[in-house]
Amino acid sequence: MTAAQAPAPDATAIELASTSRWYGNVVAVNDISFRLDRGITGLLGPNGAGKSTILHMLAGFLAPSSGSVSVAGGPARGRTEMYRSVGLVPEREAVYPFLSAREFVRANAQLQGIGPDRLEAAVAAAIARVELEDAQDRPIGTYSKGMRQRAKVAAALVHDPPILLLDEPFNGMDPRQRLHMMDLLRAMADEGRTILFSSHILEEVERLAEQVLVIVAGRLAASGDFREIRRLMTDRPHTFTVRSSDDRALGAALLAEPSIAGVSLDDGKLTVRSSDFGAFSRAIGGVARRARISLYELLPTDESLESVFSYLVAR
Amino acid sequence: MNGVIARITFRQLLSRRRTILLLLLGGIMVLVAIALRVSLDEVYLQQYAAALLNNFGVATLMPLVALLFGTGAIGSELEDGTAVYLLAKPVNRWTVLLTKLLVACAASIAITCVPVFIAGLVVDGGLSDGLVIGFTIATAIGSVVYSAVFVALSLVTSRALVFGLGYVLIWEGLLSGLFAGTRTFSIRQQTLALADTFFDLPADVFQAQLGLTPAVIVGGVILVGAIVLAGRRLATIEIAGESV
Repeated sequence: MTAAQAPAPDATAIELASTSRWYGNVVAVNDISFRLDRGITGLLGPNGAGKSTILHMLAGFLAPSSGSVSVAGGPARGRTEMYRSVGLVPEREAVYPFLSAREFVRANAQLQGIGPDRLEAAVAAAIARVELEDAQDRPIGTYSKGMRQRAKVAAALVHDPPILLLDEPFNGMDPRQRLHMMDLLRAMADEGRTILFSSHILEEVERLAEQVLVIVAGRLAASGDFREIRRLMTDRPHTFTVRSSDDRALGAALLAEPSIAGVSLDDGKLTVRSSDFGAFSRAIGGVARRARISLYELLPTDESLESVFSYLVAR
Repeated sequence: MNGVIARITFRQLLSRRRTILLLLLGGIMVLVAIALRVSLDEVYLQQYAAALLNNFGVATLMPLVALLFGTGAIGSELEDGTAVYLLAKPVNRWTVLLTKLLVACAASIAITCVPVFIAGLVVDGGLSDGLVIGFTIATAIGSVVYSAVFVALSLVTSRALVFGLGYVLIWEGLLSGLFAGTRTFSIRQQTLALADTFFDLPADVFQAQLGLTPAVIVGGVILVGAIVLAGRRLATIEIAGESV
């Protein structure tokens, strides 16, 4: 559907249509389109890729420079009524430090227009959901990062919104808090909500998201089912540098292996390109042993997340 | 007016260390008033009361208090990111703005006018000549105009404190002393013109340098203009993430 259509009750929860956003000459988001409905979607990408800009456009805080952004059946910007359907967990840590979690969640509930008859029950339910009951009357200024994050989540879900937007929700959480937050988000998705969270950490997205949007340098590099994207990432050509007792002989021996796509020897440094990471790692030991060559060092040349991402973009 | 936003804004403004500093500034004015009272000859008291309220109250305390509260009401929240909790709500942005402005005005009036009233009363010794009442009412109205201007400024620039201080020190402090034309656009001069209508004192005691009519008209235009500008800015404000 397009943004011009009337909102329908089962309208697509979130939609970007050929959306771009630039700041002066810098393009932060470059012609991205996607639509999301129920379930958890991870917005994955390195820092500075444009994830935050996308979430800010969805939250109505940034206007797209071109294209459209619609949330809950209407444009995301200039429509304060939209916020009844949206819970927002911003990345920035700052929360009114003088309020307790209970006061903070209650203030959010009141601003969402929850009436006095349902107010205290809604506040208590939201705080129980993030398991912050023990600390709820302490000022948020005294909280750890993880607790503060939970207070923010409680504030975002107190009005029971069908759409949740979370910007780097696991930042600063210890592993136990992370697991708990993942369980919470999974449970909320199972209730039929649309949840979009951003992360620059592959493992977080892998463990939680049903769907993934990979953002690199402002572009949508890949999208879809996580397993599919994971396979693309694992199957990409891997490059290693190898040091051994006889690099030349090892290179020649490796060329015979089906998992090796190429071998080069520059400046006495042996570089091996493999098309199948699994087969290569199983094969190299045997090849070296049969050729009576000692392996000193085997280093992947570029395993950073950025290189994985740029492979996906170039693909 | 939104009660929740008002309560949060009040706590935000008053929980800061600078509130204590502003209270101290008002306290110093009262101490100066006491010193004047005990050391001066009776015949000079009215003149010194006017000078103290003019130079300390109107020229220093009022703009500083309004500057810190006006820029602190929304600007500091936009800076630290907590503003999203108010703006991502089904609350009209004009309601947000007017609530914040009212709170900034109320806080500014309280912290400015109480010391002005006490200090004036201490030096002048009574209310019958209208001097203390005039200055108290005028600083209350001046605080409202200043607050609106500084709230608007904080929505236009992230350096509102610097520009606000520049306006107070350079435009009002320096230029309006040198060039009569600039006085029309000085909130300080408008405040003094307003105060002057409450009493009838000889020119060597106190004389406003701006007429009441231009003061009211220009002051009113500044007030309405600042509110409209601030409301439009807040309605269309853009908030980007930390890493753009």
